Amino acid sequence: MDASSRPAVVIDNGTGYTKMGFAGNVEPCFIIPTVVAVNESFSHQTKSTNKGNWLAQHTAGVMADLDYCIGEEALSRSRASTAYNLSYPIHHGQVENWDAMERFWQQCIFNYLRCDPEDHYFLLTESPLTAPENREYAGEIMFETFNIPGLYIAVQPVLALAAGYTTNKCEMTGVVVDVGDGATHVVPVADGYVIGNSIKSIPITGKDVTCFIQKLLKERGEFIPPEDSFEVVRKIKETNCYTCSDIVKSSPIDTRRALYKSQPIEVNVANHPIQRYAVWFGGSVLASTAEFYGACHTKAEYEEYGASICRTNPVFKGMY
Amino acid sequence: MILLQSPSRFLLQILNDRLLSQDKGVDIDCQTVEFDDVRYHIQVSMRNPKVLVLSVALPLPPQEAVSFDGLPFGAIEAIKAAYGPVVQILDPPKDGFDLTLKINLAKLPSEEEQKNAILVHIASIREVVLGAPLKVFLKNLSMKIVGPEAGQPVALVHRPNESFFVIPQADRVIVIYPMRFQDSIDIVLATSFLQEFVEARRTAALNNAPTCMWSQSPPPELKGAPGSALSANAGFVTFVVNPRHVEGKKLDRTVWNLLTFHAYVSYHVKCSEGFMHTRMRRRVDTLIQALDRAKSDAEKLQKLVTGPSFKKMSMKDERERR
Repeated sequence: MDASSRPAVVIDNGTGYTKMGFAGNVEPCFIIPTVVAVNESFSHQTKSTNKGNWLAQHTAGVMADLDYCIGEEALSRSRASTAYNLSYPIHHGQVENWDAMERFWQQCIFNYLRCDPEDHYFLLTESPLTAPENREYAGEIMFETFNIPGLYIAVQPVLALAAGYTTNKCEMTGVVVDVGDGATHVVPVADGYVIGNSIKSIPITGKDVTCFIQKLLKERGEFIPPEDSFEVVRKIKETNCYTCSDIVKSSPIDTRRALYKSQPIEVNVANHPIQRYAVWFGGSVLASTAEFYGACHTKAEYEEYGASICRTNPVFKGMY
Repeated sequence: MILLQSPSRFLLQILNDRLLSQDKGVDIDCQTVEFDDVRYHIQVSMRNPKVLVLSVALPLPPQEAVSFDGLPFGAIEAIKAAYGPVVQILDPPKDGFDLTLKINLAKLPSEEEQKNAILVHIASIREVVLGAPLKVFLKNLSMKIVGPEAGQPVALVHRPNESFFVIPQADRVIVIYPMRFQDSIDIVLATSFLQEFVEARRTAALNNAPTCMWSQSPPPELKGAPGSALSANAGFVTFVVNPRHVEGKKLDRTVWNLLTFHAYVSYHVKCSEGFMHTRMRRRVDTLIQALDRAKSDAEKLQKLVTGPSFKKMSMKDERERR
């Protein structure tokens, strides 16, 4: 059975949460915090033992290599024991710690999705300002470590638009305001191509909103145990916060005329019921089309040309 | 994670979610694929929210493998014995799948612990169905029953178009795996992994584990098996299972571990590749640091002043280059 006849694996690694599942489904199989807990006690131990005992060092290193966990499990494990150190591999939408990221993917594939990476095409996502080197790195890990047959790295805002593609008649043109946990981008997309030089980043993110609510609660004097505080605030944010659906209509009435006049084009604020995983859903839609397999970088290409095939993303090329 | 777990995380999550939010639930229709091409299709319709329809597709058996109506022998009996009234087998199964089960959540036992146990068991459907024939042999071993096929190799499917061999004998069961990998690097890593594996078995701490052997060529026990089943690029692994390995509660665990031995090796091969890459990245980092230290202060300063080292080529340079 050929890999292209099986559903592709779609993994959307966000700063806060990772959404993963199989193409063709409407919901990701798992949504877990992007965090890795590594047992550091082994590596400290190895430093203190003398050099002659290399075998003990070696086994300790090998054991530590597999003694780690991700997601909710990692959070609870680090709370229960001091031996585990938490590491968040993604900061502000960019992968910072590739060791942790590789381990994270390893667990995603083998422990959560439980699939053989050699059997499936993969769709990963990246923030619009990802450096080409990072894209190469991701490709290298996917092809070298996991031996995947094909890889497509999609840009998150384009996927968010693709998610709207099925819910209403929407076309692939629009401005996506992507407020993530660690990065906020305003990205213009025309016919599925990102207009690279017009991307604007705003340093206010979901995390800031969480912190803001946390501060409000503290000022009101609500008693929340400090270790649960973050979780509680996150729940409040996700269930009760909202954005105004029409910026113009919610502004004071005497300013509206001017605002309507100055507005060059009609603003259409799309709000999906599946906000939490709109990007993932877009990926799922994209990866279930027949064209997807043609657009992927394949293992054969990787072996012929190396990681440089992942360097450029074709969605940035449309406008030049 | 050292060993692969038997219950499917995704199935278990859906089953638990379904129980917690039965009233406000929505329709579910999703598919997932596990290692070795085991596919699941889960459907819940709001018209009947207490019933979950689970379809399972098994890896395509090779010619030599024994099967019965598309299912491994003993599977139907195993399902009935494992789940009782909670699960009903639908015949014929859904198009494209080998087995369709109707899981009636209303019939789950009310006691919390029992309920959880049966949910975990349903999520382990793979072990129950694919492991059924192996379990029959191992159970016979523990009860000292000698079946009619004693001494003969029996092929059982564990991966698409691949099988492993079980040779039941009076006082032990021999299990032989032809190990095959696609990638050339994987073959090398798996071969040395398996040799280490055999070596590790010899240490005192693992004295009670099943005897384990590895050979490049097919072991003599497999004489008479079809040629296509006897080609393996990473050699053959043999386990000798004694009655003490299948006593009581050990039985299910032994069945699962033997059933997924290939997936286990493949997982660890991938892990070691990841581990090596981590080491390589660390090495590159230290080398870059060493190079940075080797630069003199003047050099660093110069770099700061001139900025990136572009050199504009004149026409003359161009001509000289040719």
